[in-house]
Amino acid sequence: MKYIEFTKRFVGTALLWFFFGLFGLILSVLVFPILYLINRTDTGRQHAARRLIARAFSAFMWSGCRMGVFSVHVTGLKYKDTEGAQLILANHPTLIDVVLLLSLLPQVDCVIKEAVWKNLFMRSSVTTANYISNREPERLLDACVTRLESGSSLLLFPEGTRTTAGQGLHFKLGAAEVAIRARAPILPIVIDCTPKFLARGEPWYSIPLMRPHFEVRILPAVPVEQLISSGLSKRGARNQLNDALASLFESELS
Amino acid sequence: MYSRIKNILVEQFDVDESAVSLQVNLYDELQLDSIDAIDLLVQLKAMTGKKISPEVFKEVRTIGDVLDALAKL
Repeated sequence: MKYIEFTKRFVGTALLWFFFGLFGLILSVLVFPILYLINRTDTGRQHAARRLIARAFSAFMWSGCRMGVFSVHVTGLKYKDTEGAQLILANHPTLIDVVLLLSLLPQVDCVIKEAVWKNLFMRSSVTTANYISNREPERLLDACVTRLESGSSLLLFPEGTRTTAGQGLHFKLGAAEVAIRARAPILPIVIDCTPKFLARGEPWYSIPLMRPHFEVRILPAVPVEQLISSGLSKRGARNQLNDALASLFESELS
Repeated sequence: MYSRIKNILVEQFDVDESAVSLQVNLYDELQLDSIDAIDLLVQLKAMTGKKISPEVFKEVRTIGDVLDALAKL
């Protein structure tokens, strides 16, 4: 029985990646350029592009669930603030976390690594959607803070990259620094994927023996001041906040 | 140039003036972290008009290294 299930999932996964590539190509070559022409303003284009990306990603997640490649359960969507800007922080266990999160949070800003901007198939979508590039570290922090201050929610992964399979969370200081400078409330999103799927250190084509389940818990928003003591130096504050965030996620994932 | 960098470290990065020297390790001994490193890059660019690339700056450990990196630009 298990072999049948595994084989079905194997085929389902292969199909999912195939269609991801195919539709990605069609969107990139055909749909985004049309979208660019239809919308006259940059904000209009950005809004339409992000909505399209969110819909495409939703379709991907839905297909994945439907074909039994993975299962997903989300709680806490009510904590997402539709009015104000929140700094959305999530851990990063798998390759498809961005797909999952952007399907849930359509218009948020996020940082996309430079490799994607250089990729011929993905370039037009991320450019039209006006995401942030990580090309220049000194500009990155400012860009993140500016976007938050302008009223747009921002998604960041404090780890900066995927969690390495088998190792604990390694939160870097960037997200904490953005939180302190922008003083936007933090919306923690805990992604618990079991068994491990598409993790760093494992080949992308490796399929776990059991169907992976994504338990996505959106926690209530918390203001920065609640997580750190006052009167700390800049360095002290970001280190304390970073540690507090790491502890929060670690306890949620244990 | 050295004294200007020293001033930045003392005034902006909470560094003790007596701890600063050409060879002191910015990270291990002066306790600068990764965000401080980026801030320092930004300050150096504002001060000198020169931009040290992140790859080069990754190798920098002391003020002496900073001065060398700036001289090469």
